[in-house]
Amino acid sequence: MNENEAYVRPKKKRSFSEWFKSGDGQRATVIIVFLFIPLLLLLLFTYIPFLKMVQFSFYDMKYIGGKTFVGLKNYIEVFQRSDCFKSLFVSVYYMLGAIVQLALALFFASLMVFGVQGSGVFKAAMFFPYLICGIAVGFIFKFFYARGFVLDSLLQMIGMNIENIPMWLQDQKINNISLAATSVWRYTGQNMILFLGAMMSVDSELYEAASLDGANRWHQFLYIILPSIKSIVVLNIILSISGSLSAFEPPYVITNGTMGTGTYFVIMNRLAHENQKVGLACAMAIVLLVIIILCTIAQKLFFAYAFDDGTDDESKAAVRKRKKAAKVALKAQQGGGSTV
Amino acid sequence: MRAWKRIASLGLAATMMASLAACGGGSDKKEETSAANLPTIDQIKIGEDYKDLKAEVKVLTNRTDIVDTVYKGYAEEFMKIYPNIKVTYEGITDYEESLNLRLTTGDWGELCFIPTSVNKSELADYFSPLGSFQTLDQTYNFASEAAFDGTVYGIANGGTANGVLYNKKVWKDAGIKELPKTPDEFLKDLQIIKDKTDAVPLYTNFAAGWTMGAWDQYIGTAATGDPAYMTQTIVHSKNPFTKRDDMTGPYAVYYTMYEAVSRKLVEEDPASSDWEASKGMINKGEIATMVLGSWAVEQCKQAGDNPDDIGYMSFPITVDGKQYAGSGGNYCFGINKQSKEDNQIGAMVYLKWLLEESTIYTDEGSIPALKSEPLPDALADFKDIELLPETPALEGEEDLFDEINNESEVGINNNDYPDCEILEAALYGSKSLDEIMNTWNDKWTAAQESKGVEVK
Repeated sequence: MNENEAYVRPKKKRSFSEWFKSGDGQRATVIIVFLFIPLLLLLLFTYIPFLKMVQFSFYDMKYIGGKTFVGLKNYIEVFQRSDCFKSLFVSVYYMLGAIVQLALALFFASLMVFGVQGSGVFKAAMFFPYLICGIAVGFIFKFFYARGFVLDSLLQMIGMNIENIPMWLQDQKINNISLAATSVWRYTGQNMILFLGAMMSVDSELYEAASLDGANRWHQFLYIILPSIKSIVVLNIILSISGSLSAFEPPYVITNGTMGTGTYFVIMNRLAHENQKVGLACAMAIVLLVIIILCTIAQKLFFAYAFDDGTDDESKAAVRKRKKAAKVALKAQQGGGSTV
Repeated sequence: MRAWKRIASLGLAATMMASLAACGGGSDKKEETSAANLPTIDQIKIGEDYKDLKAEVKVLTNRTDIVDTVYKGYAEEFMKIYPNIKVTYEGITDYEESLNLRLTTGDWGELCFIPTSVNKSELADYFSPLGSFQTLDQTYNFASEAAFDGTVYGIANGGTANGVLYNKKVWKDAGIKELPKTPDEFLKDLQIIKDKTDAVPLYTNFAAGWTMGAWDQYIGTAATGDPAYMTQTIVHSKNPFTKRDDMTGPYAVYYTMYEAVSRKLVEEDPASSDWEASKGMINKGEIATMVLGSWAVEQCKQAGDNPDDIGYMSFPITVDGKQYAGSGGNYCFGINKQSKEDNQIGAMVYLKWLLEESTIYTDEGSIPALKSEPLPDALADFKDIELLPETPALEGEEDLFDEINNESEVGINNNDYPDCEILEAALYGSKSLDEIMNTWNDKWTAAQESKGVEVK
């Protein structure tokens, strides 16, 4: 109400200094002063570099030296090259990995929420990989998968013959799976914590009530937990899928994109830094951005349809049923009307 | 309400302007400092000139492993003679990429290794001239590597010969008396080593990447006997990667790699090879051979208890009955032309001292920068082999090789991935070498066409 009064009240001309000293003016000053630094940083490190990248994508250029304007040539080349889009298929492994990762995270989070001895220790242990930087994770797994190193020794300990153990990084049937597994290892804990946070907000009396009604743990998960944390699940899925499209660290550090493990980012990096085709790489980056935006929109639409959730009181199916019934009734009414 | 909205948007606009202006300001500052007052490097007398000069010299290097020990030691030794010139080092991991970006700002220090991505025609934009090519060429090895239009902008930090590193004991134990002279003899010997010893005949170091790119260094002088091959010939040749009947040329080099892999004469799992460990393994005799430049000799000798077992032979290709080895400069030192004049002179004095008085080349086992100094011990086995430095490119064509090389993405000496592809193809049997070489030829031809190069 108070805010609206400013509009209702007949306007009195104020000088700037008057305005500045008034409550409105002070508030505006504070807002501007506080916004200045974050906006400056955002512009300096996000938007200006991004606009520069858009600009570079229309040029034939190296990092140093001159550049020539080539129009859309770089974009055309992105679509004509065989290696750019082929590398997106590698991302499918990471997407499948992301699904496994979300399932695991949900599973562990549910276990924790139902109460486990020493859940604090488990939580910390599972979250820990996320704190290690991606490059270090890469080096860890480089040695983990190396022939005759950690993984092979473990498998030999439980009685496997070295001849039957595949070469984790060389065998093209499994090397992408090996790499995707490293990112599952890294991000499961983080997803779990996010899920756990959302699950904690569920009223625990609901579990009690449900178990009185004879619901087991699975039912509780399906009908109480999952609907309550739906938005977090959707968010995590969207983040994981766009993360899969831009997977970079595992293939770059562990295999350097060789042996058929080069993801889109690795190819982009190779073009920009080794062949010095900066313009082309910028165009690739923008094409990927468009792909990610499209994927995100597609997912949003899909989830809006699949998880269309009605209201708190009725389930989606009930809403649909009710709407259908209303429609039929309306039709019947109209139909009846016309015959008369 | 409205008023503060207006102010907020004004503030936003101001922020934008300010940050844009900040961006613009950086590039305006790049005014040329005149080079007229700088001496040329040959005029400086170490220990006599510029004793009173006060300067600060920051040196950038890629050798993060020894920057705080060995390199710092050089600086301290130098500062005993020149206490007024303060020399500091900064080690940079990911050297090439970081420096590409830092060079453009102009504010990076005084002395650095010139990144390979700087084309020769661009040298003058970033680095101060050190003297004329004619004068410096008489004193220093590899003076042409960073020269443009008769002026030298950088001097190589010593050089490397290109041959093959091997463990003498393993080769002797296998009963091989004479070193191989052709790719097929080499492959036969590797097979003997595989059959008779436990050592890995040829360790590719595939996982490191650059070790595969190292194979590119042999396709020039070593494979053709022509020191102008890489600088003048290859840019004008039609299909340079085609197989030649006498088993010379680039094809022969890649044939050696391809066949060694497909005949299983390399390590079992190249994807998990480890460069740091391989130095110790060749020292102990667990590896028989590695294809690397002579700079690796010293490192492998120091990596274990058997330094005397490490030997160095030329790449097994014979051109008209004679074997050749290419030699090339390491990274070249260049001086920042945008730095303060006194600091530039200080950097030049330090550079001269480093090239001529320090022990850097004996320490690293490389070919010294001074022509008058003897070759390192590592190359003792190179008696009968002709060691040829590369001939400079023709005038006006200094950039041509880089342009075609980048445009075609064959990436000789700057992209490791094409070499990795050869190994993968051999490992999985997915492509024949001829198929790969034909693709390279096609890419090379397309690049020649797009740059309008005359093909002979």
